[in-house]
Amino acid sequence: MELSNLFFIIISAIFINNFVLVRFLGLCPYIGVSKKLDSALGMGMAVIFVMTMASVFTWLINHFFLSPDTGIFGYDLTFLRTIAFILSIAVLVQFVEMVIRKSAPELYKALGIYLPLITTNCAVLGVSILNITENYNFIEAIVNGISSGLGFTLVLLLMAGIRERLERAQVPKALQGMPIAFIVAGCMALAFLGFSGLKF
Amino acid sequence: MKNIIKPTLILLLICVISSAILSVLYSNTKPIIEQNQKENIENARKAVLPDAVKDKFVAVDVNNVEEGEERFIRDSIMFYKGYNEDGKLVGFTFQTAGQGYSSSAEVKTMVGIDLNMKIEKITIIQQQETPGLGANCVNPEFTRRFTEKDPAGIKVDKDGGNIESITGATITTRAVTNSIRDKFVELQDDFKKQMQGGGK
Amino acid sequence: MKPVAEFTKGILKENPVFVMALGLCPALAVSTSVENAIGMGAAATFVVLCSNLIISLIKNFIPDKIRIPCYILVIATFVTVVDMTMNAYLPPLHKSLGIFIPLIVVNCLILCRAEAFASKNGVGLSILDALGMGLGFTLALISIATFREILGSGTFLNMRILPQSYKPMIMAILPPGAFFTIGLLMGLINLLKKKD
Repeated sequence: MELSNLFFIIISAIFINNFVLVRFLGLCPYIGVSKKLDSALGMGMAVIFVMTMASVFTWLINHFFLSPDTGIFGYDLTFLRTIAFILSIAVLVQFVEMVIRKSAPELYKALGIYLPLITTNCAVLGVSILNITENYNFIEAIVNGISSGLGFTLVLLLMAGIRERLERAQVPKALQGMPIAFIVAGCMALAFLGFSGLKF
Repeated sequence: MKNIIKPTLILLLICVISSAILSVLYSNTKPIIEQNQKENIENARKAVLPDAVKDKFVAVDVNNVEEGEERFIRDSIMFYKGYNEDGKLVGFTFQTAGQGYSSSAEVKTMVGIDLNMKIEKITIIQQQETPGLGANCVNPEFTRRFTEKDPAGIKVDKDGGNIESITGATITTRAVTNSIRDKFVELQDDFKKQMQGGGK
Repeated sequence: MKPVAEFTKGILKENPVFVMALGLCPALAVSTSVENAIGMGAAATFVVLCSNLIISLIKNFIPDKIRIPCYILVIATFVTVVDMTMNAYLPPLHKSLGIFIPLIVVNCLILCRAEAFASKNGVGLSILDALGMGLGFTLALISIATFREILGSGTFLNMRILPQSYKPMIMAILPPGAFFTIGLLMGLINLLKKKD
């Protein structure tokens, strides 16, 4: 039961309810950072990392501080959720950036420039809020965080691959740049629509 | 040192001010939000049992009816009895839910049963099905198909039954139909017991 | 002359959605019907207006180092205000906008206006800028939603405008329709710009 449930969360987060193509979260980096495969990979890795960490921290904050039943204050502080989550994500991103810079300069070189962008990536706040509204337990929240990040990275890489090829294609002048990127995204969303209704 | 203290104090001040504003607003809006939710359910109950009076529904805690039976323990209030102006029992309402096409939310239905053990009316109280297909289940054109049917015998036409399914949304139709039937079968003995007991 | 320009620039020339590609997530996600688009546009306009106002007022008290956290705090406060007020007085709209109300916090449009405009300009201009940007965002949402609702449900603001015999193009209100619509609309705007 437990394991199959986790499996369902993974498949659901990557394919059925893909963050970008079905839930419309994290579109800004999806369109903005998908011009080159290298940078897409860097962004994807950074997002997986931050999403997982954010799932852990925001779940703990909600459980131990905000929730009226399990929180140490005993008050219903859920109305502070948005503020508490966005601040902890901002702090987390800053902290991760400092740690990586000190301990793994190589990794920092690869991910560094993407980290500040992630604070305003709605996918990170989105996964934190979804973890709470779907009533996930701690393990489920972490798994959901990782697999949502994976789903994001998957479509980001696919998109970057397509866009590198589009460079050489003849696109009508008015559609060059962002418009054609959206139309490609539409085609991908059409393909991902095929996953919905998958049953276990 | 001074460089740290001043920003910290300012940030703290903003935090305190905004939490204060929000807590005041929260304590003002919370009763309204809860009232709205309660009223939605009450309206749905009235909608599926039009003969009954809105504030004369009585919750039946099945635990008291069938003491010690395990199947009722997980959900103690199982259905409501509806009374008319003269205090006469006119039927029962219950809520049921089934997994539809969308993996993020179940389809929740409110069902009204008359004293002949036929469906009076149903209404969908929650769904996140595909817009344009499964989401059509909220339309009266669909919910009307259940009226006057024997809830123990309903089945989707694709399964050889008597409920015409929504075009392109057999899974949604099946979720609604089967959840009503299963819950009714589970509860029908208790309904009969309530009728014999004169509906006290 | 200048105040007028600050107001009108957001509507077309620097339209947040079509030209600057800010706030894309809500623009695509809630544009399935014109009603939702107006609701989201109004909510975002309220937040950008209040946060621009407050930030232009307090900008001199905030040390440069912590300005972004302060802005985020101010924005998050107003977003929560919108969230609770809408939940209390407009529950159906609150339900259909769902998770995208708390996510107004990370709508890059709002933080971008706070950082790029309100932190450098006075109260009056900041309000005009916020109104223009909010209006531009709302209009962009409405134009996407108009296409999607008419094609996908045959209605406009829940009123049927296409005959019953029209078979709705369901794809328009599904996710792919959102991407196609915004792509084609952006192309159209590019085409109009070239002509000028």
